[in-house]
Amino acid sequence: MIYKWKRLGENSLFLAPSVILTLTLGIYPLIWMLRYMFYDYAGYGEALFTGLDNFSRLLRDTLFWESVRNTFVFAGGKLLLTLPLSLLLAVILNGRLRGSNLLRGIYFMPTVISTAVISVVFYNIFNSYNGMVNTVLMKLHLVSQPVDWLGPKHAMLTVILVAVWGAVGNYMLLFLAGLQSIPQDLYESASIDGANAGRRFWNITLPMLAPVAQMVIMLAIIASLKGYESIMVITEGGPIGKTEVMYLYLYKLLFPVSTGSPVTQQLGYGSAVGFATAVIVGAVTGLYFFFSRKMNKVY
Amino acid sequence: MNESVISKQPGGRPQTVDRTPGTAGRIVTRTVMWLFLLATAVLTLFPLLMTLTGSLKTGAEMMTGGTLFPAKLQFNNYAEAWKQANFARYTWNSAFMSVMVTVGTLLVASMAAYVVDRRDFPGKRIYVTVQASMMFISVGAIVLRPQFDLMVALHLNTTLWGVILILVSAHSSTFFMLQGFFKAIPRELDEAAMVDGSGFIRTFFRIILPLLTPGLGVAGLFAFRHAWNEYILPLVFTMTNPKLQTLTVGLANLRYGSSAAMQIHLMMAGACLSILPMLLAYILANKTFIQVTAGSVKG
Repeated sequence: MIYKWKRLGENSLFLAPSVILTLTLGIYPLIWMLRYMFYDYAGYGEALFTGLDNFSRLLRDTLFWESVRNTFVFAGGKLLLTLPLSLLLAVILNGRLRGSNLLRGIYFMPTVISTAVISVVFYNIFNSYNGMVNTVLMKLHLVSQPVDWLGPKHAMLTVILVAVWGAVGNYMLLFLAGLQSIPQDLYESASIDGANAGRRFWNITLPMLAPVAQMVIMLAIIASLKGYESIMVITEGGPIGKTEVMYLYLYKLLFPVSTGSPVTQQLGYGSAVGFATAVIVGAVTGLYFFFSRKMNKVY
Repeated sequence: MNESVISKQPGGRPQTVDRTPGTAGRIVTRTVMWLFLLATAVLTLFPLLMTLTGSLKTGAEMMTGGTLFPAKLQFNNYAEAWKQANFARYTWNSAFMSVMVTVGTLLVASMAAYVVDRRDFPGKRIYVTVQASMMFISVGAIVLRPQFDLMVALHLNTTLWGVILILVSAHSSTFFMLQGFFKAIPRELDEAAMVDGSGFIRTFFRIILPLLTPGLGVAGLFAFRHAWNEYILPLVFTMTNPKLQTLTVGLANLRYGSSAAMQIHLMMAGACLSILPMLLAYILANKTFIQVTAGSVKG
């Protein structure tokens, strides 16, 4: 009996820090959000229960829906560039290639660098007036006039390019891990049967990679919908809201950003927006799983 | 796949003759492939090179732009950033925060992982499920608000300890990583120690934990990277307390400052300073970064 209590005591002692931290800083904030999304609460003064008012405001909030649209443009653009590029790099590096370790090391490097720090750098090098991107493009005679990378027309493209820069190496590595788990004898027997490189890619690599690719693409989708750190540093959602993604909009409802932002702090409404964004990300992930379920059982 | 070997395989079907491009075709394919690989490598390194060259230019050179390389290397920029632009303080804050987060995360997660791996207790499945779901729930910045208010109530918002506690509370990925490492340590070792009269706590700290050193190193590297690169959390906590700002926050603030245009060279020097430790760690522990990341999809 004493032995049992002693064990229970030891278990509790070892789990206590983890459980306490998870409850107070992991679970409690979620409950807080689920509560305040029904309140009118500015962060100071009294919180007023308003039922579903926040959600009807959400439906009419053009800034929010604009940010949802921007999120999908951003995520779509990032995925369309990142996934094929990283898969292509992975396939090439998977072959026996001189210097592939060095190249892999270079491509993966952006993942160890702080997004915020490199975004400050990108903000400076994409500057239309004195940025190095324009300098190089003009020296190479690829453009005749400086491109306004951070202007309303190109800002979205710029933040997508920055996001691709930070992501390609990571997904390349994940694809590479998947490729390396494909048994080599499959390729050998296919070659003997006379399948060329293209056929081998379509009929062996892609189907064998499918289960890993399903996971990798899911991670990529979630990450691209969630990312807002670099946008916050580079454009702050501007100019004129062109790069305002939903998580950045949410941030602006909770904390002051810079002066002149059209968004004012509202914690109650922010909670509703936070809930809605989680539902949107969850729905996209769910839909993706539904439509990609075949990828998981190819053989 | 070595094409030349394959083409020598006898007994291929007649239509497989075209599977191997001629020598000329192969040279073209190889050239295109290498151009693509090198272009990607150059694009990946470009912002880092620009950070380095920019950090060695004068403020005036950066403002006018147009040149690729500094006319004269301005190493003085680093001294200026370090002393006048407060980067000494930012570096200290970042180092303190990251070390504490790493130690805290490893301690909390290893204790919990040990009990979960070695013992049965009521609620074990719930605990593991909650930890797993903590990795996927994403409601964005909304959780920062109750976390922040909690730290204000505990008077932990005037030091970096609030940020440290919140970062340690997100220890679920470390928990699962360490649980895997614990599985590799035979249980007989614990039992032998217990038979020799070593208590549970003593066994853990004196016998098991030292054996876990390689695993702790790997998990610690990732925890450190996460803390070192974290931006939004320290930003929120140090808005009214510039003394506590970390490298990421201090650097991003320069970009918003009124004299930002005149300080680009300092921004670049600061960026170099904050990237350097992670880059060094990456070069030294390249294999670890790559293996752990690749391992996450292999399951």
